[in-house]
This record gives sequence, structure tokens and C-alpha cells, in this order.
Amino acid sequence: MSRKTRDVLSVEWVKLELIRTAYATRGGLFAKMDARMVIGWYLMLAVAPWLTHSFATIIALFVITAVSAALARVGPLVLGLFLVGFVTDFLYAFLAAWMFGGDANTALALVEINLKLATVSLASIAAFVSLDPEKLSTGLLALGAPELLAFGVSYGYRMMPILFEEFGVVFTGLRLRSAPGARGFLGLRALWRWGTYAVQAFYPIFLNTAKSVRTTVESLETRGFTARQGRELRIARLSIGALDVTVVAVTLAAVIAAFAIGPWVMTG
Amino acid sequence: MTAIIELDRVSFRYPGASRDTLRNVCLTIEEGDFVAVIGGNGSGKTTLCKTFNGLVPHYWVGEFAGEATVAGLDTYDSSVAELSSTVGYVYQDFQNQLVRPRVRDEVEFGPMNFGMPDFAERGRQAMEMLGIDHLAERFVWQLSGGQAHLTALASVLAMRPRVIVVDEPVAEVDPAGAHALYERLTQLNREHGITVVVIEHHAEFISQYAKSVVLMDDGAPVWHLPAAEAAARAAELEAHGIPAPQIIDACAALDLPGAPRTIAEAAAIVRGAGVTPRGASSVEDAAGESPACPARPVVTASSLTHGYRTVAGDLMTVLHGIDLTVDAGDRIALVGGNGAGKSTLMRLLGGLQVPREGTIVLDGVDTRSASSARLADHAAYLFQRPEQMFLKDSIRSDVRLHPAGRGREDADALVDRVLDRVRLTPFADRDGRTLSGGQQRRATLAIGLAMGPALLLADEPTASLDVASRDSVIAMLDELSDTIAAAVVATHDMHLVAEWATRVVVLEQGRILADLAPRALFGDDALLTRARLVPPQIVSLGRELGMDPVPLSVGQWRDAFTAAGAEVHA
Amino acid sequence: MSQTTATDERAGRIRGTVAGLPRDLSASQKLMVFVLSMALSGVANLVLEIIPDVTIGPVDVSVSYFVFVPLALVALLNPFWAALGAPIGEVIFVDLLMGDFSGLAEVEGIIQMFLALYIAGSLVRNPRNRLQIAIAAVTVVVIDKALSALVDLSKVWIGVEDAEFVEGLPESIILLEGIGYAVDILMSGILFGVIPAIWLIPALHGRIEPLLGMRPRVPGEPIQGSAPRNALFVAVALALSIASFLFAFLEAWDIELGVFEPEWLDTYGPGFIWVGIGAAAIAFLVGIALARAARGKSDAEN
Repeated sequence: MSRKTRDVLSVEWVKLELIRTAYATRGGLFAKMDARMVIGWYLMLAVAPWLTHSFATIIALFVITAVSAALARVGPLVLGLFLVGFVTDFLYAFLAAWMFGGDANTALALVEINLKLATVSLASIAAFVSLDPEKLSTGLLALGAPELLAFGVSYGYRMMPILFEEFGVVFTGLRLRSAPGARGFLGLRALWRWGTYAVQAFYPIFLNTAKSVRTTVESLETRGFTARQGRELRIARLSIGALDVTVVAVTLAAVIAAFAIGPWVMTG
Repeated sequence: MTAIIELDRVSFRYPGASRDTLRNVCLTIEEGDFVAVIGGNGSGKTTLCKTFNGLVPHYWVGEFAGEATVAGLDTYDSSVAELSSTVGYVYQDFQNQLVRPRVRDEVEFGPMNFGMPDFAERGRQAMEMLGIDHLAERFVWQLSGGQAHLTALASVLAMRPRVIVVDEPVAEVDPAGAHALYERLTQLNREHGITVVVIEHHAEFISQYAKSVVLMDDGAPVWHLPAAEAAARAAELEAHGIPAPQIIDACAALDLPGAPRTIAEAAAIVRGAGVTPRGASSVEDAAGESPACPARPVVTASSLTHGYRTVAGDLMTVLHGIDLTVDAGDRIALVGGNGAGKSTLMRLLGGLQVPREGTIVLDGVDTRSASSARLADHAAYLFQRPEQMFLKDSIRSDVRLHPAGRGREDADALVDRVLDRVRLTPFADRDGRTLSGGQQRRATLAIGLAMGPALLLADEPTASLDVASRDSVIAMLDELSDTIAAAVVATHDMHLVAEWATRVVVLEQGRILADLAPRALFGDDALLTRARLVPPQIVSLGRELGMDPVPLSVGQWRDAFTAAGAEVHA
Repeated sequence: MSQTTATDERAGRIRGTVAGLPRDLSASQKLMVFVLSMALSGVANLVLEIIPDVTIGPVDVSVSYFVFVPLALVALLNPFWAALGAPIGEVIFVDLLMGDFSGLAEVEGIIQMFLALYIAGSLVRNPRNRLQIAIAAVTVVVIDKALSALVDLSKVWIGVEDAEFVEGLPESIILLEGIGYAVDILMSGILFGVIPAIWLIPALHGRIEPLLGMRPRVPGEPIQGSAPRNALFVAVALALSIASFLFAFLEAWDIELGVFEPEWLDTYGPGFIWVGIGAAAIAFLVGIALARAARGKSDAEN
């Protein structure tokens, strides 16, 4: 066995991916847009697949969101997790249909459902993953979300990489200091051990997080978060520009086109 | 001057506590003052400061008695929000105070929440006052410790407060950063008339910057005196865990009266008294003690190169071609600015990570060939933040974790012995987080010792400790040298370097700049400047007086002036 | 440390309550519980998200969530705010960040999880009683999964009512739901619910509260903010459960109109979808109103 430094699939990588995702450092189309328009864009693509039963339209919609996700420069971690889920769902659908004597129709129906779900999921990846948390939180405020939720979004994005790293450190500590053991049959013993570390890690994580949350909330208090007078000021910063209008218009046209080709493919 | 904060017989008890944390506090702070609040752990310093902005009793809803008036407002009848525009508070763990992604958002957050239309102007001004306007677009996670601290300060400054409270400014930033922060605070105090209250342990900062000093003990102020008068009460301060600065100790050691505030003043006092060092040459250099037998290498690193991926995705090389051998008996201090690669080198030496290029042989084992869990038997790595090492619900189980897990028969006896050694037996059943800063560090040392390592690696073991606790940790490290073969400590603390290390490795941008004895380091001005190091006061004083060799501790200084020096030296 | 001569006798005028503490939490303490619950549940879900799911055949045997994490918070702190923070934390930290966001259906998940946690937290009268903790841990999974299983089954009933030509589908779904339910109770409820919880909750009791500036919960003391045991609460809980079904029906209708019965859409038009969205909006408003009411009530008490 020889250890080496890995650039992907390591704790450090996940942390970096979280930061990259959370702060939209990859740039991308939606990072530059007004959050309200992005949310509107998302709603359009989230609703559209449910309004059709044409296979062609659904595939077209899927292609639209896939292109959007590419333009949004979605990172490998998020995309990888999405693909794993997507593929498993398909396999599951086929398997279920096969096991209970369903025919091609059943399978096709399930594929269609999964494709719709994937489209919605990909749209949300494109929209929310590349959006600056501050913008998203302001956009939510502008759309009338409770301030607590808007703050939660911004705070959550900031804390997630830090908390994850903390978890990594504690987990490493447990791994280094606890009893080593054999891998066992199929690595089950090791899996079990890692499971117990993951659970045990929560004791220090609870207490350490409680301590830092206290400072955060105290500081929020002293800086008027609970005074709730800044809503208008924050919303006033948003502005809808040419880019926003263009993106939404182009997408709308593409969605309409997708619906248009549906019947055409069926008849033709 | 008028009073801005007046406390009249204020008592406070935390919810669920069995006795009052503040007991009948009467205190007046004048507008424009620069106050240092000092006192031991648990003396109520932080609680006192939290009454100034109403966090006590509005946020901490306990039992409150007495009257606290801030800028004419009774804190009990007003809200934290109202008081916040008068009093700004910067926390010790200021990183958690930053809640917004970018510096600009962070600084504008307060004014925006209070619905002030000029929030952008206030934010800009606050950043300018602290000279951080160039950081406005940075993400807060990109900031260094010092920059993050200034950002936290700017974010309270944007509210244009009349009082600023800073809790332990030195705790989490390096000495250079701490001095920079104090300079900024002094500027705010002098040019903008802002009243500054700091909670501080370090006598040298108090004597250099504060105008008055409040000594807290057991929930009540003992006295509130001008800084000069306070400094003269050295014995009383010492009793409350605030040892005098080294230069004052140095004068006291020679029975010279006076409380110098700077090195030059101290040198003038010594010269004026006409005393000269006598037994100078007899001071034995710890590094000069050559081992009796040829040293055994504990860890050898050869042509080590390592780097990390950045957020942008490129590989940032942190270490370039490092060659380093740590021999048995070595006590190495790893120094260098932030980002010099200290922590990375330590993690590689301990086998937590493996290098991208080059090899490390730890205690005869190539770190690539063994899992990090196996290597933990050879090297113990102590994290900078102790709470990351407290994994169990008591110190005893934390210390026991490694030896018991490795199936050592004598685990329990070993744990008892180690706990006794770090003098934590009375606290063995408490959760590490409930201990004081110094006790927490000693607990992490105990965890490391129980692992029975050949190599002990400690990251900033004296950071954020008061002077007394710091000294006890240094003493503890000193005593432990017989049980571990070698120790490497990454540190900013020059007292630790001077009093403990036998070898100093200076890192600069991933390269070894120098590998030498502490005394040689402190004698090399060019190197000190280049590595941005500030020697301890006693070293500077010794050099000012032209002593050779320079004293590294007050003990050595005393020895240098007494005839019997050679025998007294331990 | 030297002792001064001062005694514990208070010389100053006593302000506010002395004998007992205010029973309710201050607004900022609620915020703290909420934020803590959000952060910790977020981490727990993130860790789970990264562990690959194990699927044996069509049955997913992976752990749905670390129940013990939010359960510890609802058992030790204010159940209402902790229960609210946990599912929202999951949505924000994991679903949004990782692109697992399913839009309005998330609201269904939030309502189910909130109800499950809130009721379970209120069941724990003594945070050191392991039996109570065990019951609460299973309760969370039972309520949450029962609600979502009911939703899934309803989807099929609705989809199959008119056209039963999809062979084997209802049976397969019932069987899969049944197995899934059992697996969830075993894996999420017991293995990663009861077992960690009976260790973690007593370990944290008395340790985490002082860090947050709160008094530890005294065994047996009814905690402020726990689920009231009256008809109104049951009615609201029921209404919320039904509302959560409505979110899911968005998908259910789709099975029907998109797959099994294409004419349906022609008859009623896509506008009918908006009925579902309207129902979702109503349930969302009910949720907000409930939160507001709770806040208003506590403010009044303060």
C-alpha cells in the first residue's frame, strides 16, 4: 500500500468544492444575474416538464437545462452526485418494472418521470448552485421570504465549508486515536468502525458548534439583525438588466419551441 | 471628561449558575479613556464588558440587579439594538462574528440592519479608518487572521460607536498583527475620541497602550487606576496572573527602582545605575550542549515538495525542496509568517499527509508505506485549537483513547501518570472545553504524551494564553523532554523560542531560510527583519546593552549580573 | 485567586424577575437554537450526502438521515425552533448547495420533518431517560416516513383509480414502500437513531445548554414551546399533514396526466396544475401564520 496526495475525492477537495459552489467562484451565466430573475427562470423550467406528456418535449427540456447547467459552470462534485442519483434512479425504475412483470409501457412511464425529475433537478443545480449566496438571500427577501430564511441561506453557505472541515478534523482525530482494526469481510468491519466514528464525531461537533453559534448570534444581535429595518435597503440593491431579460426571453423561446416540437415529432 | 459608562452596584447571575458572576460592581469609565480590563480566568471580565452593550441582561437572561448607565441610557430599560449604536463589541473568536461572504457586506451589515440610508458611506469610512479598503471585495475566508480581526473591528466601527470593546485582541493573531491592531485602536482613541475598552492579559500591551487599568477579581473590580500607577503594583498584578513585562522584571532583578515602558527607558535605567554584567561568559547556551552519543534521527525529510489546490483550482506549492533531519534530543521551533508552510510541514512530518514529492522517514518508517493511524504510534500531532482534540466527554477518556485502543495493558496506570504529570488529575472527569485556556493546552499535551510518541508535534501551543498559563505550558514542554525523543513546535511566540528551543528553523515561503540556535537568531538583525520576528524584551534589552551572549530569559539576565551566575543557572 | 471581602449580598436594586427565570426564551435565544439546529442538521446531511447510497435490489438500504442529530436538539432545547431549523438546514445546506433541490416538494419534506421532530421532542420529558429517548427516536422516523409513505401510496391510488392497466405497479409500489418503511425504521430509526441518541443526548445534557447561555432542562419540567396537547394542535398538525400531501400531489397528478391518461390534460387543461400550486401556497401561508402566532404569543408573554 502506498499513500499519495489526492486532488479529488478527498475531504480537502469536498471542502474546496463547497466553497467554489457556495461562492460561485467559477463565474458562469447565472452568477451575474439578478436573483429574482434566476428564481423566475428556475420556476419556469421547474413547472414546464409537468405540463407535457410528449417524450420529445421532455427530452428537449432536458437538453435546455443541460445546456444551462454547462453555461452555469457547475462543478464536478455537484454534477457527479447528480449523475449518480440520476443513473441509480433509472436502474431502479427498470428493475422495479421488470420485477413485477411490467411491460415496456411501465418502463417508459418510469423513464419519463425520472427524466422530468432530472430536468427539474438540473435546473435547480444551474440556478442555485451558481448564485452568489448574498444575491440569493436578497432575492428571497425581495420575493417576500421571512428574514430568518434569507439569513439562513447566507449564513449556511458561509458556514458549511467551515463546519465540514471541522468535521473532517474531528473525524481524523478519532481515526488516528481510536483502536485500529482489520478491514473484515468485504471491508464491513472497517465500514462499521467508520460509521461509529461518524456518529462519535458529533459529540465534539455539537459543543464546538454551539460555542461558535453563540458568538455569531450575539454579534447578529448587536448589529441589529433582529431590528429588522434593513429589508428595503437590501432589496434596493437589486436591479434587472439586459442580461437578465435576454436569458429569460431566450429560455422562454426555447421552452415554447420544445412544446412546439412535441406534437410535430409525434405526428411526423 | 464626562462619564460614558457608569455601573452602580451591578450584580448578575447566569441562568442555572449557583452564584453571581458580577457582584455589586461599581465602575465609572470616562469618555475618551483607553481602558484595559485585566484579571484571572473567571474573574468576570467578559461578563462585565457584556453589560456595556446590554447583552447582559437582554441576551443573557439571568438575574440582574443594580443600575448600568451607558451614554445616559439605563441598559435595563433599553435594548441591545439601541445600545449597539453606542457600544461596539469585537469578540475573542472574531471569526465567528463575520456572517457575510464579503468584507464590504460584512462592514455594511450593521448600518443596513438599522435602516441607515448612508450605510455604504459608513462602511467605506470604517474600512478607510482601519486601512482595509483594499480588501472590500475579498471573501472573508480569504483573509488572514489579522485582516479578519480588522474586518470585525470595521464592522462595529461602521455603526459609529462612542465606545469599542475588544475582547483579548492578542489571543488569535500573531504579535505583529496584535501590535497593528493596538496602533489602530490608539488612533481611533486619539483622533476620533472613541473610548476603547480592551480585555487583556499581556502586561507589555497594557503598559504601552492603555491609559487606565481595571483589575477584576471574583466578579468585582479591585481597583481602577491610571496605567502608570497600575504598572507600579507589580506584585499585586502578579498575584492575579498578570506578571510584569520582562523589562520591569529585569530592573527588579537588579533591585533598580522604576517601571520602564520601553526598551530604551529600561536600558537608560540600567546604564544610569552603573551596573554591568559580570558573569556573562558563563551563561551556558542550551543549544551548545552537545549530546554524549551521536544523535539518532527521529524523522528525516528529504527534498520535500508539497502543495494544495486552491479554490481557483491551481496547485499552490507550499513547500519547496525541504531537507530536514530531526535528531533525538532536538527541540525545534518552527517560525515564520502566516503561509510560510509551518503547519503543512508539521502535518507531513507527522504522517497526517504524504508529500507530493520527496520522502519522509519517521522513526524508521516511510510515511508513504503506513496508514496515518499506524503512524500515530510514532508521532503525536497537537492541533492549534484544543477543542478539536477533545473528542470524549472527559479529559480522562480523551487521554485514554489511544493507549486503550492500542490494547496497552497498563493503559489506566499510564493515564493516571500522565494526568498527574500535567497536573490535571483534579479535572480528569471534566469535559476539556470547560477548562481554562492553559489547562486545555496541558490536556492536549497529556493526550499527546499518552500516545507514547517518538516525535511530538505541536501547532501554536501557547497561542491565546495569558502569560502565567503560557509560562506553565513552556515549563511543561521543558519537563517532558525525557519521555519523548524530539519535539517540533510551530510558533509565533518568541518567548517559547527563547526559553525552550534548542534549534530554530525559519521558514519563508516554503523554503528553509535558516536553521540555527535561538541565540544566533536573535543576534542576526537582517534575519529577524526578513522573517518579521520580534525578539522578547529581555533579548532586545540585552542587545541594547551590548551583552554577549545575550540573555534569553530573565533568569539568564539575572545570572549575567551576579557573580554566582554559573551555579544558579539551571 | 485571592478572595475579596465582598459577599454575595446584592446591594443594587433588583431588576425584573428574581425568584424564577422567565419561562420563555428570548427572541435571540430562539434564533440561536434555530441557527444551531440548521447548522448541525446541515452538516449531518452533508456527511450523509457524500457517503454513497447502498442499494440492494430495488430497496434502498441507505440511511435517510442522522435522526439523532436533530433529536438531540429537540430533546435538549426548545423543540419548536429546533424542529423548524433542522429541515430548513437540510434544504439550504445540502439540497440547494448540492443541487438536490426539488422545488415545492421540499416544502412537503419540511412540514413532515418538522411535525415529526416537534412531536418527538415534546415526548422527551427527561433527557436522561433512555427509554423516552428511544421512543422519541423511533417516533421521528415513524411519523416522517409514514407521512411520506402515505403520500407515495396516494399517488398510486390516484394514478390507478381510473386506469388500472399498468400491471404490477400498485403491488410493486406497496411492497417497495413496505420494505422501505421497515428498512428506514431499522437503519435510520434504530441504527442511526436510537443507538446514537441514547448515548449522545445524556452526554450533551447539562453541557451544551451553558454554552448557549441557557439553563439545562430539569427532568420532568414541561419545556416551553413543546407541543401543546390540545385539540387545536392536533387539528393544525392534521391540516399541515394534509397540506403536505397536496405538495406531493403535484407529482401524483403528473403520473396521471402525463403518463397514464393523456386525455386528462385536454379535458381540464394545464391550468389545473395551478390548483395544486394554490394548495401549496395556502399550506405555506398556514405554516408562516403558525410561526408568526407562536412568536406573537411569546412576545406578548415577554
